[in-house]
Amino acid sequence: MVRNIMLGGVGGQGLVMTTAIISEAAFLAGFDVKTNDVIGLSQRGGKVWGSVRYGEEVFSPNIAPGRADVLLALEALEGLRWSGYVRAGGVVILNTAKIPPVPVITEKAAYPEDIEGLIAGDGQREVDVRAINALEEARKLGNLKVVNMVTMGMLSAVLEDISLDCWRKAIEAHVPEKTLALNLKAFDLGREIR
Amino acid sequence: MEVKLMTGNEAAARGFYEAGGLVASSYPGSPTVELLEAVRAYAPEVYAEFSVNEKVALEVGIGASFTGARAMVSMKHVGVNIAMDPLMTFTQTPIQGGFLLVSGEDPGMMSSQNEQDNRVLGKFANMAILDPGSSQEAKDFAKLGFSLSEDYGLPVMLRMTSPVCHSRGPVEELEREVRDIAGFSKIPEDFGMVPPNTFPKQFEMKKRIERLTEDASGWDINFLEVWEEDERKKVSDTPFHPINGRQTVQRLAPSDPFFPPKTLIITSGLLYYNLKELEAPVDIYKLGMVYPLPIEALRSLVEDYEQVLVLEELTPFIENELKSHGIQCEGKKYFSFTGELHTELIEAGLVKAGVLGSAKYETAGEVDTVARISMFCAGCPHRPVFDILKKNKISVIGDIGCYSLAVLEPLHMLNTIISMGATIGIMKGMSKALSLSGKAEPLVSVIGDGTFFHSGMTGALNLLHQLDSNANLTLIILNNGTTAMTGGQMTATSGSYTKDWDMNTSIPELLKAMGFPRVRVVDQFDYKGAKAAIEEELKFEGLSIVMTTRPCALNFKIREPYFVVDPQICIGCRSCVKTNCPPIIMKQYEGIEKLKSSIDPDLCVGCSVCSQVCPVSAISRVGDKGRVAKAVSKPDTTLTENKTPSEGGKQ
Repeated sequence: MVRNIMLGGVGGQGLVMTTAIISEAAFLAGFDVKTNDVIGLSQRGGKVWGSVRYGEEVFSPNIAPGRADVLLALEALEGLRWSGYVRAGGVVILNTAKIPPVPVITEKAAYPEDIEGLIAGDGQREVDVRAINALEEARKLGNLKVVNMVTMGMLSAVLEDISLDCWRKAIEAHVPEKTLALNLKAFDLGREIR
Repeated sequence: MEVKLMTGNEAAARGFYEAGGLVASSYPGSPTVELLEAVRAYAPEVYAEFSVNEKVALEVGIGASFTGARAMVSMKHVGVNIAMDPLMTFTQTPIQGGFLLVSGEDPGMMSSQNEQDNRVLGKFANMAILDPGSSQEAKDFAKLGFSLSEDYGLPVMLRMTSPVCHSRGPVEELEREVRDIAGFSKIPEDFGMVPPNTFPKQFEMKKRIERLTEDASGWDINFLEVWEEDERKKVSDTPFHPINGRQTVQRLAPSDPFFPPKTLIITSGLLYYNLKELEAPVDIYKLGMVYPLPIEALRSLVEDYEQVLVLEELTPFIENELKSHGIQCEGKKYFSFTGELHTELIEAGLVKAGVLGSAKYETAGEVDTVARISMFCAGCPHRPVFDILKKNKISVIGDIGCYSLAVLEPLHMLNTIISMGATIGIMKGMSKALSLSGKAEPLVSVIGDGTFFHSGMTGALNLLHQLDSNANLTLIILNNGTTAMTGGQMTATSGSYTKDWDMNTSIPELLKAMGFPRVRVVDQFDYKGAKAAIEEELKFEGLSIVMTTRPCALNFKIREPYFVVDPQICIGCRSCVKTNCPPIIMKQYEGIEKLKSSIDPDLCVGCSVCSQVCPVSAISRVGDKGRVAKAVSKPDTTLTENKTPSEGGKQ
């Protein structure tokens, strides 16, 4: 069986590092792993997305529509955008903090209301939406950059086949030592959120 | 040996290292930027540089290869166009140290101006082309490329598509090969490429491709995988061994219960893995080398099948090669010629071809909602320049860099983007044509410092030839000391912003030496001063150059105290919003009926531009209420002393 984790976010939120840590944790847990990051021009505030796939043997790094077990959305609108990749019964970990895109800033479009409802409630495929304002959680911890760590902690609670030890080692391998304690704290906080 | 997760870029870099590579050069461009950055991690055992452009990078690689050192040159697909000139002649020489050209391809154009298929260029340059589909293959094929290059005396192309460059997978690390180099062999007949020396080289190039074609039929990087009930079996199931482990392809014997299989799919790279996801009842022939093809192996193999399909992205390259050798197959009839071919699209093609009965995959995943396009970062020094140009209702000839984003909404003011450095030549051609037709109009072009050094300098110099002294041309050089679009590599001006960089070229001094009469340097965070200067040059009936001085906010991690809007003073005019800065948005304040501007303090980096465009001084730096704020940090003063047109500027 291959587990599919889809990621969506905004350029600059650290999606590539998030993909790296998740894949490292799965790899340390003994799985074959493939990932992809699609960044394009999006270092500058555009949409970015990625995938992590792990299992006994993984061929393609890409996740097909409707086949993601989990969607990790670092921003609300991006959660909505990629929700079509989630399978029925899948989980959406949603950071509800909003980053307005250009059409919203220029008042040509409204930021969609009730994104949680839009994701959960189209009736055709039920998904388990676990929403949190990770930005506010990060603010409480004193560093806004740990948004992805909070959501990664939430993800770790869903992926039961990867042990806590593997997650910690993966985080240690990818974050700078001086921010390690803070990152682990944010991860632990996310892991406790149900 | 340790197995580690690596991206394709990291794995190719590892392959270079393990193969005993000595010199690596590149020009930054997606998807191969991180490859050279990964090679750097192996310094000082190896030398790595981002060269000034791809042609220079290729020449650096040629020099290293001439001494017998293994050299790797990496660039994005369009970069190879710049490097084609030296490549086309270098390929005639008997390659000494293994030479690997990594061509990063971008099917689907996630970050490129076109979708060209460089397999065509590899064939054109008489190279062998290897096409890895995973990180492990990226490493193995890089190493194989070096030995093929030396064994057959040709440069080798390692073609890596964007997802292969960026995706991660497990890679086995091996020791670095210890290699000695022979030194420069000094044989003009081999390396001095003028006629008559070039005459025998044509035959040598032909012969080496023929030898490769013949030998490739036996290599296990080209293998057949047969479908048996619900299990796939690799027929040549031997450990990967590039040269020594040659085998002939084994086929099912006619006595085999599964003989004959119906459909054979010939494919390569990542598409092999995307195809395997489908578990389709087909046999697969995976090509590790896509040029030249193992024609004889394939010719006899296809006889066993009723249907032969070629699965490849972009052009029908393999398909046409096979057809030109009289091997019947179909490919583009069923699979798109543009974009990436993900599993669900491959399935749709196989349904169309009658291989599969019906599609099990969904094809629509992305929900249609509010678009999120890229925009200039908070504090980006390009923002005030485009705001000023927009206010002057000027349409601009653009170039390649972050400022290319001005072609998109809401700025929507770059009219052309073609290729690196093209803006200046285009401006000249337009000017000449319009002037001859009596339709002369003021023309403005913009270019960044990295692009200017890459290939803008030559176009600039060419402006001075047969210059119409009264043609109103303005060239704006957006000098931010950074190759920013590709993630913040250094340029020839970075040394004026950071002591960590060894190049500190003065663009104004350079332009002066080239003979430009009117060069002006502005600090664009002094909005009013910059606006006055730019407007003066826009009106000037002649050629003028304006260079801006503020460094890339992202790369130099510039963060000053944030700005706040006083909603009681704000008149809701949206002057600040129109600068299109990520933290600035109209907001409904409590107790105020009209929408007023707001600034997200989490995102604001304090550049002050919004406060300077505000007509009613409603925006001030936090803790600085009531005073109009000015930019805090000044750029290097050596850049700003030249505030007025330099001597001789008045015409």
